[in-house]
Amino acid sequence: MSGLIRQFCNKLSSFTKCYSNVIARDNINIPSILSFHSRFYSNTPTLHEIVDPNKDKFITEEIIKNVNQQVSQGTQGRLFAVVHVAGKQFKVTEGDVLIIEGYWPPNVGDKISLDKVLLLGGSDFTLVGRPLIQNGLANVHATVIEKMLSHTKTHFRKKRRKQYKRINFYRIQQTMLRINKVEFVGQLNKPPDVSGLEYVIL
Amino acid sequence: MVFTTIVNCVRARGPDEFWRKRRIFKLAAHYIGRRRNCYTVAIKIVHRALVYATKGRQLRKQDITELRNARIIAGCEQHGLNFNDLREGLLRCNIMLNRKTLADLAAWEPYSFKALTDIAKQKTKEDGFGSVKDLQAPVGVITRGMSK
Repeated sequence: MSGLIRQFCNKLSSFTKCYSNVIARDNINIPSILSFHSRFYSNTPTLHEIVDPNKDKFITEEIIKNVNQQVSQGTQGRLFAVVHVAGKQFKVTEGDVLIIEGYWPPNVGDKISLDKVLLLGGSDFTLVGRPLIQNGLANVHATVIEKMLSHTKTHFRKKRRKQYKRINFYRIQQTMLRINKVEFVGQLNKPPDVSGLEYVIL
Repeated sequence: MVFTTIVNCVRARGPDEFWRKRRIFKLAAHYIGRRRNCYTVAIKIVHRALVYATKGRQLRKQDITELRNARIIAGCEQHGLNFNDLREGLLRCNIMLNRKTLADLAAWEPYSFKALTDIAKQKTKEDGFGSVKDLQAPVGVITRGMSK
């Protein structure tokens, strides 16, 4: 019986297709033969939509082409990136200075490439990584300009009328990082043939 | 009691009491009236100020967290999504942006933030969690079957 129902449904769907290629509504006339089993199952056709598979593909290719074109012509505007450094995320653009707190090995004068890019945005587009964007698509170059300690912070606790008073002083290690460059390199939607070998020493 | 001359620092002159009080007076230098000139009053105020400074560092962190949450929630409401659905949707798509970044984007990069809410909405619809019934499916989101 279920086979029969499916056949009917197939017929129904082709029937509705004739009418329109948008979402089918309930108010379409259903042949009276089909109301035969209406107590046990619904005769109303399932809502459906005729999707053109090439439409999405066309739009996608168009967008990717536009982004690539902007990048090649240099009209993408000032880029910003969200990078993951020393356990924290920073939204950076060219010329920024980051302060990284706590122990962090790089020394003054070191030039660093920040590879963990979570998000890259221009004036007309944004690339969102899952969680990182494709390696080699964005360059974020930085220089360590200063390593120092913060000002002295006083940690003072006191309880009134309890003869309790403690004082401690501490300073935090700070590293200043200048962002020299945020740039888009390579082409969108053209991943390398082999990936994951960038940092492997063979 | 502000010490403008370096003479006081050349040699440890005077009794210990003078130097002990001087430490407190230096911190009280910008106060007004007896609280800067009179030791018994000054020490009370200075101790209280130091306690406030210590506690304030923690409160500052709480305030910033609160501000960030407020910014993200405001951004979400603008696009008809609630905060939890945004977080859940993004995490399910493996987009690991933290609250700090999301707040920055909500405040300064509205178009990027809207794109993120669209992604979260699409995921919400596909997976069927959160307040799906109230949500409109986002327009113009093409996943190419890759949102899994």
